[in-house]
Amino acid sequence: MNSSHLPPGVSPIVAPLKRTLPPAARTVLVVVLLYLFLVGVKLLGTGVTGLGGGTAGGLFDGITNPIAALSVGILATVLVQSSSVTTATIVGLVAAGQLPIEVAVPMVMGANIGTSVTNTLVSLAHARRTDEFRLALSAATMHDFFNVAAVLILLPLELATGFLQKTAAWLSALLPGGADATFNSPIKGAVGWGSNQFERVIEIFVSSGRALGIALIITGIVIIFLTLTYITKNMRVLIAARIERSLNAVLAKSGLVGIAVGIVVTVAVQSSSITTSILVPIVASGVLLVRNAYPITLGANVGTTVTAILAALAIGEVAGMTIALVHLLFNVVAILILYPWNKIRYIPVRLAEGLAAIAATRKWIAVAYTVIVFIAIPIVGIVILS
Amino acid sequence: MVMEFFRGGSQSELVEIEATLVRMLRDGHLVFTTATDALFGGGKSKETRREVRMTDKGINEAQQDVRRALLVHAAVNQAELPLVLQYASIVKDAERIGDYSKNLYDLVKFGANFEGAPDQAELERYRDAVANLILEAANVFDAKDAVAAQRLIGKANGFLDDYDDHVKAAYRSTGETSDAVARALYFRFLKRTTAHVMNVLTSLVQPLDRLDYYDEAKEDR
Repeated sequence: MNSSHLPPGVSPIVAPLKRTLPPAARTVLVVVLLYLFLVGVKLLGTGVTGLGGGTAGGLFDGITNPIAALSVGILATVLVQSSSVTTATIVGLVAAGQLPIEVAVPMVMGANIGTSVTNTLVSLAHARRTDEFRLALSAATMHDFFNVAAVLILLPLELATGFLQKTAAWLSALLPGGADATFNSPIKGAVGWGSNQFERVIEIFVSSGRALGIALIITGIVIIFLTLTYITKNMRVLIAARIERSLNAVLAKSGLVGIAVGIVVTVAVQSSSITTSILVPIVASGVLLVRNAYPITLGANVGTTVTAILAALAIGEVAGMTIALVHLLFNVVAILILYPWNKIRYIPVRLAEGLAAIAATRKWIAVAYTVIVFIAIPIVGIVILS
Repeated sequence: MVMEFFRGGSQSELVEIEATLVRMLRDGHLVFTTATDALFGGGKSKETRREVRMTDKGINEAQQDVRRALLVHAAVNQAELPLVLQYASIVKDAERIGDYSKNLYDLVKFGANFEGAPDQAELERYRDAVANLILEAANVFDAKDAVAAQRLIGKANGFLDDYDDHVKAAYRSTGETSDAVARALYFRFLKRTTAHVMNVLTSLVQPLDRLDYYDEAKEDR
C-alpha cells in the first residue's frame, strides 16, 4: 500500500507521440511532392513520345478490345494498389498520343474496379471474428459491386454512343485555348521546367533516342508512384484531425452528406483506398452502418479523379484532359444512375451483404472472390481478348 | 457536416475526447455528492432520484460517445493505438464512478440514513475525502499534471486500508444488522469509487501495460 515504489512511468497521455515534422514543413513537403508528381507525368509523356510514333503505341497494339482494356485497367491498379497511379499514367500516354482515347476509356473504368481491392484486403484482416468479418466484407465489397455495376451499365452505353468521351471533349474545349490540341495551363510551364532538368540529368547517362525514351518512362513511372505514395502518407497525417471530425459528424448520417464527405476527404488525401479502408474497421465494429458508409464510398470514387485532372493540367494536352474528365464523368454519372432511386440504390449494398453472409462462415469464399475478381478474370480477359 | 472538415484547424480530436473525460469526472463528482447528501439527511426524494439517474445516464452516454470517437481515431491514426487503448481503459473507470454513486443512493432507498448517527462525522469525513478526490482528479487530468497525479494517488492509497478496516469492523459489529450492512456497503462503495479514480490517475503516470496497478508491492508486479 506504500506508493513510494511507484516510479513515474511514461504515459502516452502526458508524453504523446511526437510528429517528426511540424505541419508547416509537412505542407511544404506535400507541395514539393505534388510538383514532382506532375513532373513525373510529364516525363512519362515525353518518354513515350521519344520512343517514336507507333512504337510506344505498339505496347497497346494488342489491346483494342474494350474488355481487354478494362482488364488492363483492373490488373494494373491491383498491382500498384492505386487508381491514381494508373489514371495519371493513362493521362500521360493519351496526352502523348500513344494510347487511343477509345482504349483508355475502358482502362480508367478498370482502374475504378481495381482500386477497390485494397479495402477488400483490409476486410480480410477481420476474418477471425465472424460477425465483424461479415460487416467488414460488406463495407469493402459494396464498393466492388457498385463499380462493377457502373461498368456493366456505362461501358456498353459508352461503346454504343461515346457520350462520356464526347462530353469530356466538349468540356476540355471550354478550357482557355482548348479549341486547339493544347490548352493554356497555369502550371504547364513550371512543370515543363522541372521535367527539362530531369531530362538533362538522364541524358548524361543515356543519350540515344530509344534508350532515353525508356529511361524517361521508367523515371516518370517511379516518380509518379513514389510521390503519390508520400503525398498520401503526409496528407493523411496533416489532415487526420479533419478526417476524424468529418467522420464523427457523419456517423449517424446517410445520403448526400456522406458523398460530399467522401469527395472532400479523398481529394485531400489523394487516395480513395485510404478513405474506403478507414471505413472498414469502423463498420466492422458496428459504429457505422454499412448503408451510412456507402455514400462515403461513392464520394471517394469521385474524389480520386482529381489526381488525373491535376496530371492533365500539368501536361496541357486536350486529349489528356479529356480522358481525365471521362474518369470524373464516369463516376458522377454512375452515382446519378444508381444512387437517386430508392429501388436500386442499395443493390450493391445488398449484393455485398449477401456475399459477406456466405463468406462469413466460409472464409475461403472471400479469398477466392478477391483472387477471381481482381486477378484471374482480368488475366483471362487480357490473354483471350488481346 | 462537410464543413466539419474545414473547421477547427488541425487540432486532434483527442482534445475533444479528453474534454469529455474531464466532464465525465466532474459529472461523477456531482452524482456522488447528490447521492451521498441523501444519506446524510437529504433522504430519498423524486428530485434526488431523478438527478442521480439523469446524471448517471449522461455519463453513460458520454462513455459511448468517447468509445465511438476512439474507434474512429484508431482507424484514422493507427500510430496512436497506445493512446486509444489508454483512453478506452480510463473511460470505463470514469463511468464506474456514476454506477457506484447510484449504488450509494440505493442505500437510501433501502432505508439507510446516517444523519444523527454516532459515527456521522467520521462517515462524512470519508465522503468528503472521496468527493474531493474525484474533483481534484478531474482537474489534474485536465491539466495532465503527472506530479499532482502521483501525489493524489499516494493520498488516495492511504484511504484504501481504512475502508477495508471499516468493512471488517462492520462485519464484526454486534449492533443492528441494518446499520452494519449499510456501513459495510458504504465503505465498500467508497473504496471502489476511490480505486476507479486512482485508475484514471495512473493513466497520467504509467504506460498502458501498467495502467490500474498502483497498490502492488514491487515483487508482485
